[in-house]
Amino acid sequence: MKRRSTFSIVSLFVLASMLLVACGGQATPAATSAAQPTEAATAMPEATAMPEATMAPTTIVIGTTDKIASFDPADAYAVRDWEVIKNINEGLLKWKPGTAELGLGLATAMPDISADGLTYTFTMRDGVKFGDGTDLTAQMYADELNRLLTIGPDCPNGVAGALATPYVDSITAPDAKTIVFQLKTPVAYFPQILAGAPYTPADPSSFPADACTLFPEAPIYGVGPWFVSQFTAGEQIVFEPNPYYNGELKPQVDRVIVRFFSDPQTMALAVQNGEIDVAWRFLGTDLIGQLKSVADLTVGTISGGSIRYLIINHTMAPMDDPNVYQAVAYAIDRNAISDTVFGGQVEPLYSMVPPGFIGANEAFDTQYASPDLDAAKASLAKSGYTADKPLQLQMWYPPEHYGAETASWMQVIKQQLEATGAIQVDLQAQEWSTYVTALTGGDSYAVGVLGWFFDYPDSSNYLDPFVYNGGEGTNVTTAAEGSDTGTPINDQAKQLVDLLMQADTETDQAKRADLYGQAQDIYADMVVSLPLFFNAEHVVFRSNIHGSDQYASPDTLNIGPTIEFNYATLSKSQ
Amino acid sequence: MKLSPFALIFVVIGVPALLALGYIFIRGSAGLRRYIMTRIALTLPMIFILASLVFFVMRVLPGDPVSSALGPKGTPELIARVRTQLGLNDPLIVQYGRFLRDVVTFNFGNSLTGGHRPIVDEMSERFPATLELVVPASILALLIGVYGGAFAAARRKRATDYALRLYSVVIYSLPIFWLGLMLQLLFGVRLKVLPISGRIDAVVGTSLKHVTNIYAIDSLISGNWNALRSVGLHLVLPTVTLGLILSGVFVRLTRINVIETFQSDYIAAARARGIRERVLVYTHALKNALIPVITLIGLQVAILLAGAVLTETVFSWPGMGSYLVERISGRDYTAVQSVITVFALFVALISLAVDIIYSLVDPRVRY
Repeated sequence: MKRRSTFSIVSLFVLASMLLVACGGQATPAATSAAQPTEAATAMPEATAMPEATMAPTTIVIGTTDKIASFDPADAYAVRDWEVIKNINEGLLKWKPGTAELGLGLATAMPDISADGLTYTFTMRDGVKFGDGTDLTAQMYADELNRLLTIGPDCPNGVAGALATPYVDSITAPDAKTIVFQLKTPVAYFPQILAGAPYTPADPSSFPADACTLFPEAPIYGVGPWFVSQFTAGEQIVFEPNPYYNGELKPQVDRVIVRFFSDPQTMALAVQNGEIDVAWRFLGTDLIGQLKSVADLTVGTISGGSIRYLIINHTMAPMDDPNVYQAVAYAIDRNAISDTVFGGQVEPLYSMVPPGFIGANEAFDTQYASPDLDAAKASLAKSGYTADKPLQLQMWYPPEHYGAETASWMQVIKQQLEATGAIQVDLQAQEWSTYVTALTGGDSYAVGVLGWFFDYPDSSNYLDPFVYNGGEGTNVTTAAEGSDTGTPINDQAKQLVDLLMQADTETDQAKRADLYGQAQDIYADMVVSLPLFFNAEHVVFRSNIHGSDQYASPDTLNIGPTIEFNYATLSKSQ
Repeated sequence: MKLSPFALIFVVIGVPALLALGYIFIRGSAGLRRYIMTRIALTLPMIFILASLVFFVMRVLPGDPVSSALGPKGTPELIARVRTQLGLNDPLIVQYGRFLRDVVTFNFGNSLTGGHRPIVDEMSERFPATLELVVPASILALLIGVYGGAFAAARRKRATDYALRLYSVVIYSLPIFWLGLMLQLLFGVRLKVLPISGRIDAVVGTSLKHVTNIYAIDSLISGNWNALRSVGLHLVLPTVTLGLILSGVFVRLTRINVIETFQSDYIAAARARGIRERVLVYTHALKNALIPVITLIGLQVAILLAGAVLTETVFSWPGMGSYLVERISGRDYTAVQSVITVFALFVALISLAVDIIYSLVDPRVRY
């Protein structure tokens, strides 16, 4: 009898607990509810001037399905990592919120550039401190940036090899306020590179000079508007205002929490029921479509930098034949891909350089006016491919890496190519890591899908990588020792390389735009790669979350074409 | 010395287990002692074989963690350098030896993706989350299963019996992600009474001091009632989803066993003595009918962990399941083989515990 009672009591207790919890009222406490001080906040130096109204801290919760791979500026090379670093840190130059215009960060003015374009001299503003109160001197900044050049190449994510060592020869601090960059060759877009996360000063107390430190213990300080007060891997990052920040982007709320989701569907539901205030990267196009009709939610669309295209291998049959790759360019109907698979939520792309970037044109539309099936058939016929003797074309794609819908739009492309009557497409899927190595290696696949997101928002970053040194598998050049660009495979490729190299060093923006215009025309004629569409980025937020009217694009929370999200411009009404 | 939460969990679970084993060795029969020794002796090679299998299968499958992480921006030189740094260019036998050493020392090495952190640290964060989910889900499954089964048996061939039998079949057949999504939509989005993601409210979570990483325990230790309430609320939907799915099989098993027990002489004798039907079912019949259910618990642990993988994904629950999914897609060999080894160890320990309990609750069982 006693045992039965015990069992019953335990059962009742468990059920009652669940019932009580379930009926416990609103699931999500208002984000403004008083919270106990965090570990880091209690460790804040007394000399700080924290806001007095700590009774009810205003908190904004941002959801994401991105993952954090590194906090170290000398290593991080992913959008989310850079977002964290650039919210807790600031470089000499930065992007004006909501735009792709360069503005001043720690620098008091734009750099003095030597006549040969090799020396950039900056003056730092006064009173710059890390979040723990440590002063940032020019020497300290130079040391931190030299860390990028010395230990950076040994860090696992490879940012130094992409954005530092190819360009920078040395970084020095001749006096307490001056930083001098000596470049290896003139680089017209060096200021754009400087605005990236790798050129922000790492806090020496978290990031030692002799080792990459991907995940230091919180608190993690920088000289930017925020510091990371807590980091719970796989769950959330907590940002609190840097009390010593003396720049322009002062935080409007007491705390920002970035919360990680493993499933976009769950994140969409969480922003609907108010568990998070903002959903930022990545919600699929179908979820965005659903959320647009939900009351109390705003869907902001940003013409982002993420593009999709076909890599055309110019040294592998049948894509080594100009008639074949031009026929493919004639046959593709980008609008049909957008409408059929994405419900019109992606934008057709007619150049590798998306609209808005310097010199961007629509060369593929001008040259091919696709779809033009007659022109495609005629082009194929020149090489002897007809309905009786169709071209056999194997096309490759990764089934998961760019979303499950990749298979659908590859199927649409297959149908479009087969509509010429002279091409038979064999679609092949391959697991991502095997796929990307094989495709960019340039000796396995004739055609394959790839995506690109810029390292720095400049046209050069959309063209150079696909032309120089094997061009990510396009093979319009071949890597050659001692050459920065590789050896072009023909005269047209040489002309393209020459134009891009001129544009890389040209500091006159009008001339530079013209050079990129010419380069895109040749690029389209050669079909170096075949641009398909660009994915707009979407930010979904609740009606009480606002961007700042002081800056551009408040309707997208001041997220502009650089895809930079400054948490400091956010505010929250009751 | 600061004890990692992962080690702490093993202390919390392992010490009582060792004490229980010690008790059995001192007070148990010679047959039981021999049986336990045999089971332990068999468990070790089983885990060794499984871990080795996973090690080699992961390397036979296409994919490479470095290329996967670096994508098109990874130059061949960078990929080669990182592979060397991570020891992936070493001969397979060297990598295997290193893996076995890491398993034996419970070190597991560093992960190959996601920041190259020590796997022990990552599991310290994830394993407690999974425990926090599967323990209440198992209790819920047992409560519904055992009481539902007994209730159905007591009302055999009546409407409630048919309803419960139908429930057990339907609930067992439902995909976890679908049930989870329906509960999220109903209780989270439409009624707005329950949270649908994570382990704790984002704001409340900032005030929680992490000791064991089992948030319910951490909030109790620190007396943080606000956090405890939030943890409880966040547990409801994932627990109910996983618990309901698992309860179906327990309903069926308990029902059939209670019905069989009803045929026993001692039940007829009890009934003849005028004992009330309710007492007969829930005390006399149910107690004996539970013995096969205990066996099933051991078998269900593996299914429970598989269910946890899906539940964690649906509810963005940062446990071992979602960690495993994340790392499989990144081809993180060391993380995947370590997680599977820990899962295997967990299942083996639970199976052993079930066998021991089985021998204790049923005196007829002799080893």
